[in-house]
Amino acid sequence: MRNVLVGLSMLAGLASQSLMSLALISLALISLALISPALADVQIGILMPKTGFGAGFGAEEQGSIDLFMSKYADLGPAGKLKLTIYDTRGEPAQAISLTRKLIDTDNVLAILGPYFSGESEAAFPVANRAATPIVTPSSAKPGIAAANRPWTFRNASTTDKTDAALVVHWLKRQSSPVRKVVIFYDGKDAVSSSDGKAVMPAVLKANNIEVLDSISFQTGDVDFSAQVTRAKALGADGIVMTALFTEAGHLTRELRRQGMQQPILAGVELSLDHKFIETAGDAAAEGVLTGADFNRDSPRPSVVAFIKEYQERVGQLPGNSSALMYDALFLMRHCIMTTGVAGSSAADKAKIRDCWAGLKDVDAPIAGPSSIDENGDARHAPNFLIVKSGKFVVDR
Amino acid sequence: MVLLQQIINGVMLGSTYALVAIGYSLIFGVLRLLHFAHGEVFMVGAFIALCSVWFLNAGPVLAVVCAAVGCAVLGVVIEFVAFRPVRRRSGGMLAPIVSSLGVGLLLQEVATNIFGADQTRFPPQFEATVYHFGSLFVTSTQLFILATSFGLMLLVHLFISKTKYGLAMRAVAENVDVAGLLGINSNAVVVLTFAVASALGGIAGVLVGFAFSAISPFMGISMTIKGLVVMLIGGLGNVYGAMIGGLVLGIAEVLTVGYLASSYRDAFSFALLILVLLVRPQGLFAGGLRAGH
Repeated sequence: MRNVLVGLSMLAGLASQSLMSLALISLALISLALISPALADVQIGILMPKTGFGAGFGAEEQGSIDLFMSKYADLGPAGKLKLTIYDTRGEPAQAISLTRKLIDTDNVLAILGPYFSGESEAAFPVANRAATPIVTPSSAKPGIAAANRPWTFRNASTTDKTDAALVVHWLKRQSSPVRKVVIFYDGKDAVSSSDGKAVMPAVLKANNIEVLDSISFQTGDVDFSAQVTRAKALGADGIVMTALFTEAGHLTRELRRQGMQQPILAGVELSLDHKFIETAGDAAAEGVLTGADFNRDSPRPSVVAFIKEYQERVGQLPGNSSALMYDALFLMRHCIMTTGVAGSSAADKAKIRDCWAGLKDVDAPIAGPSSIDENGDARHAPNFLIVKSGKFVVDR
Repeated sequence: MVLLQQIINGVMLGSTYALVAIGYSLIFGVLRLLHFAHGEVFMVGAFIALCSVWFLNAGPVLAVVCAAVGCAVLGVVIEFVAFRPVRRRSGGMLAPIVSSLGVGLLLQEVATNIFGADQTRFPPQFEATVYHFGSLFVTSTQLFILATSFGLMLLVHLFISKTKYGLAMRAVAENVDVAGLLGINSNAVVVLTFAVASALGGIAGVLVGFAFSAISPFMGISMTIKGLVVMLIGGLGNVYGAMIGGLVLGIAEVLTVGYLASSYRDAFSFALLILVLLVRPQGLFAGGLRAGH
């Protein structure tokens, strides 16, 4: 709308000498009036990493967006669902300015994204102050939504909820008991860092496991030889890593290459990405246990259908990020349909906020019954997945 | 034993830095200008090798050769397109720096569009064999890298100090005008310098690709910065300084990670740089190509 007005005033300035200009302007105004019903479409903004180190996650999300829009773009009386997608490059600074742009310039009803915890930490206060609902489909660092009530939500379980179950499961399945572990964590990635420095150590301590050392690396590292050589001398009988899939892959490869064969637990930051196994190599990745919201082997008919349709449309299997985005879109549409919003007014935004805050056992296609707790977080039971012959399979 | 293994790790990492920095230094030594797209040439080298493996079924040696030739050509093209026209029009330092930054971005974007933003890697048959010696270990790739790096360093040394072309290069580095008066075709020397330096950069790209199983359009950026640090530590434009500087930086980084934390790694590298600049402002080896034997 604002763009149209700016265009009009420019047009007026250019043609002000002639009478023709008046005719042109009135023509433009009439056509504006004619197309105005289309403005009733519901605008949702999406923030995701399309380039940079998170581009792989962005591609998974894009697949789900394409599939979802081909099926559910129609909102009935509210018109069509319109998405404005911006690339954050995985950078918190970009996430902030693009959140502002979506709210101020694009006048969206609500925002889905950003992807990473670091970005969400930066963007949530902006949306919260601007009284616009924002929902990250993926960020898992505890406390981010809780610190920005009441406009921020996430459709992902936080690590403090998933780690406890994950660690207990991992310890239980070892043939020889694990008593001393080394933690490797990504010091640059917000969720991996908080998980590796605070959440995992607390959970391990609660299970009487001694943490011998916490060794950091940085997102984007490819050389892990120094970290592994340092860990090798400590005599741990288990390894815990909180890392994104690429770094986890390189680290796992280096651990096995230097002869460390201890069982590995990888945090949910791995995001169940198959590229972890490609990077580590089948042999090195064998037996690594991780947790994820998405279970690709689920017998739920809606999951089976999603996987089939996604594969037909995108030509690849959906990943954890695909699944989370698909459910987030589904729940957002659910809120739009049930509250009957038709625009992006303050009242409409409040309705969407209340809908998310009150979500209770809504049947999302992938995760099933979905609820949001008092902190604005989803609560999904993690699936335990283990690498067997180059594939993630459910470990019961 | 742990310390020894860490030093081995550092030498492996450092030898790839050295290869990148030698190319950087050659160009700086001859032209007195910073080639900020050199890291991207390094990245392109890795991708050329990857393509040669995909389409020509190349082994490691052929892959290295393909990358060297491809990058030499690329380096010469960069000189003709991005440096020569700018150099002719302005005498300043700034214009070539900016145009080389532009070339770097262009190469990065092109690579992202062709190969995607994700990391890729050489197929598993390039997987290293691991040799254990007690608690120490080295891999076949590491030995290949070490042999290639030191072999190339020796070749560059012989080329600069023993051949006619090396002499011409040193003459141009000393004084372009006088070299021209003495009958040296300085434009040809500059082209030769770009070809040799870029070939070295490309080879370094392949070796890093082998060693860390990671090739991405963004692998050049950090190399550009590290190459610069190495060059400053070693002495601006001094090829031998670049060799030593690379190893020093590699070992310093690994020891920082091994005994402190990875978050201090870059801080320590730059602290080392500042220390060297304070104590020996000319770098470890002074004098660039001019004093270069």
